[in-house]
Amino acid sequence: MKAFARLFHDLDSMTKTNERIDRLVEYLESAPPEDAIWVCWLLAGNKIKGAMKTGELRILAAERVKLPLWMVEECHDRVGDLAETISLLLGSDSSSESLGLDQTIRKFILPLKGREGGERREGINRAWDHLSMEEMLPFHKLLTGGFRMGVSKGNLCKALARVAKVEPAVIAQRIAGNWTCENLTMREILNPSEESAKEMGRPFPFCLATPLQTEVEELGRVEDWLVEWKWDGIRAQLVAYGGGRGILWSRGDEAMDESFPEILACLPYLPAGLCLDGEILPWGREGLRSFSHLQKRLGRKNPTSSILKRQPVRFQAYDLLRIQGEDLRSKPLAERRNKLECLLGSLPKHLPIGLSPVVGEKSWSKLKSRREESRKRGVEGFMLKKRDSEYRSGRVKGSWYKWKADPFHADMVVVSAQLGHGKRANLYTDYTLAVLDEAGELVTVAKAYSGLTKEEMIEVDQFIRKNITGKFGPVRGVRPKLVFEIAFEGTQASGRHKSGIALRFPRIRRWRKDKEPEEADTLETIRGYAGMEAGEEKGAKTDEDGNLLLF
Amino acid sequence: MKDPVLVPRPEGLYCPAGNFYVDPCGKVKRAIVTHAHSDHGRPGHQSYLCSETCESLLRTRIGKESHVETADFGKKVRIGDAIVSFHPAGHILGSAQIRIEVKGRVWVVSGDYKPQTDPTCESFELVKCHVFISECTFGLPVYRWSAEQKIHHEINQWWAGNSASGHASILLAYSLGKAQRVLAGLDDSIGPIYAHSAVLSFVDHYRKAGVRLPEVKKIEPSTDFPNAIVVAPPAVEDSTWIRRFGHARKGFASGWMAIRGARRRRNLDRGFVLSDHADWDGLNQVIQGTEAEEVLLTHGDGEALSRYLRERGMNCSLLAGAVIRGEEEE
Repeated sequence: MKAFARLFHDLDSMTKTNERIDRLVEYLESAPPEDAIWVCWLLAGNKIKGAMKTGELRILAAERVKLPLWMVEECHDRVGDLAETISLLLGSDSSSESLGLDQTIRKFILPLKGREGGERREGINRAWDHLSMEEMLPFHKLLTGGFRMGVSKGNLCKALARVAKVEPAVIAQRIAGNWTCENLTMREILNPSEESAKEMGRPFPFCLATPLQTEVEELGRVEDWLVEWKWDGIRAQLVAYGGGRGILWSRGDEAMDESFPEILACLPYLPAGLCLDGEILPWGREGLRSFSHLQKRLGRKNPTSSILKRQPVRFQAYDLLRIQGEDLRSKPLAERRNKLECLLGSLPKHLPIGLSPVVGEKSWSKLKSRREESRKRGVEGFMLKKRDSEYRSGRVKGSWYKWKADPFHADMVVVSAQLGHGKRANLYTDYTLAVLDEAGELVTVAKAYSGLTKEEMIEVDQFIRKNITGKFGPVRGVRPKLVFEIAFEGTQASGRHKSGIALRFPRIRRWRKDKEPEEADTLETIRGYAGMEAGEEKGAKTDEDGNLLLF
Repeated sequence: MKDPVLVPRPEGLYCPAGNFYVDPCGKVKRAIVTHAHSDHGRPGHQSYLCSETCESLLRTRIGKESHVETADFGKKVRIGDAIVSFHPAGHILGSAQIRIEVKGRVWVVSGDYKPQTDPTCESFELVKCHVFISECTFGLPVYRWSAEQKIHHEINQWWAGNSASGHASILLAYSLGKAQRVLAGLDDSIGPIYAHSAVLSFVDHYRKAGVRLPEVKKIEPSTDFPNAIVVAPPAVEDSTWIRRFGHARKGFASGWMAIRGARRRRNLDRGFVLSDHADWDGLNQVIQGTEAEEVLLTHGDGEALSRYLRERGMNCSLLAGAVIRGEEEE
């Protein structure tokens, strides 16, 4: 645990990505494999769940240091991070022999699961007696599950790739998906050979587009680009192993099989060793529906037949990454697209699987005017993919662009706030925003986290601390005064906000210091933006094959 | 309370019996100053009373020509109907707690203080009183300081590590007090020590008061920095001044560094938890030790500490008009 604690504190204090990767390589090369595999598992975004609820942790910590529980809350409010708060409050003067990371987890964390309260109290106090000060914070991070070490999964892949001397994409594939320290070993991750049977069934790391930030003409000849609508759904890969088995894989590296059984039902019709990249979309008989329909399916496992009927979905495929076990990612997109069209053309029509159509226009200027249709169609704009491009891992520049429709803007008032995370841990940086309703009352429509500069965030934090009007759990009511201009992509019905609507992808565009709360935009204006989507329930936008009828 | 020794006024704490203020702002006739930090010793008053070691530091703030009288630590001075004495606060060189006695009632204004050791200033003295007006900058139990030697050791190790990898070290520390305390702990066998002019201007005052400090160089345009440490005030952080050091590592010595968020927000390489204020344990020990029947809190997050002390049976509240929260000068 000492070596892990040192890694944790070093990564935490480093400000440069390359230094972090170097440090991680150093750890991975020297750590015992049973410890290193945990670090990989954690940095891959996994958490140890269910060891102890944070409420109980607060109570037991308060009890140990003989402070009232409210004081723990006060401190948490100042520090912004529970694991850090608990570590600072408890302190340590232990000089016990340090255990390895694996041993620490197995001895002190995993046994807490499913135990009686009294046993858990004893267990955690034994851990607290044992741990050194240096180990405290990483230990509580493990315990509370909120693990961030400033190393993204992509950078973990780079570090592992350096150790194994293989391409990062190979590593990315090996550590994609659901695995535990019981069924994957460091030896398998660091295997110097590039393919193994086990990898056949795994999804690939997703290729992500970058926003188009130049004039579209600068991309060169329009013929070199494949243009598709940018779908507002959930990115996914559909992997078929053969024999009707396979998985549906999210960008968040989760299997979504249980949420979307109708898509899995396509597997028997698909050839073995297949991997499709595409989007899960809410899709009724009339065609594409708005994202809010899909939200009714999210996080819901084993949906009932009535939900399946009322909120149908489909898999809109746009790339073919593997067929019959052959990795096609290094082939040009045009070739992959041809194969994809052949494959989908051969499938029975009734399956909830379709092809993302190509928008074939002869000039950029024609495409520019077509882009204006995005809102009406319920899509987010265009995807521009270079016809000769490979399918690469992670965010790529130069070959895949998202060319989004211009966002909406509205001035809104901050009415409540919450502490942020990470770098913003003890700053109020998560804001709830409101607009004026018909009666002139402020009604909430959105939450926004990003868009202010560091200096502005600090200034806003100071304002909020001086203007708190009430406490609701972690949320602080704030005197309405701050006006932000918010950019967003659209609106949808919401039970969460008082106004009955919620914004899609709201972010702060600028702080309108020149505006008073009375000058905020009205709910009617926002609803007006929603009106651009209002046709969705009635009008058909696509035919049975998924071709947009407005083409 | 009947006939309080001190009453809050817009200018600051006022003593009716002696017709003077403690650490006032605005323009008053007689100002007693606890120490020379700019939020305590302000310019513009007609006359000042401070500790002897505070005087030269204070004059740099309020102007050479100002009328300043000094009092020896522990010596009782009569001002009107009040008996006033200065007692070391252990915050910075010359920092004092002000003891004010009127008709047998004793009030103590702590100013900023720390009971922890610090060889660059007079050691804190516990003063018994009826009413104790205490600062509470770090009035939460997450703030607990390690021994000073341990922090000095960490700083030297960091500096040596940076030097070994060819990086200069910039250590940010408040220019009066913290900077000199940091300098006193530096191991000059690691490399040359430089200081920003704001820090240097106070170094001589410290030396004259008998505080041992290592050799500190002035930064010349031709200075070469690879194994050097530069002590500079936090204000330089986003300035053009700091650019000359290229890829230097940046550290910050402050009690606020106890919390990761505070360090990470500033994009610092290292935070050293070194404070000139009392930590949670220090505040509690001192407040208990004064045996005061009433405790008034100012300068900090007093609400949590006062609630905590009240729950433990102590008569404690926030000083009316107290400064609520400042994260700057530490």
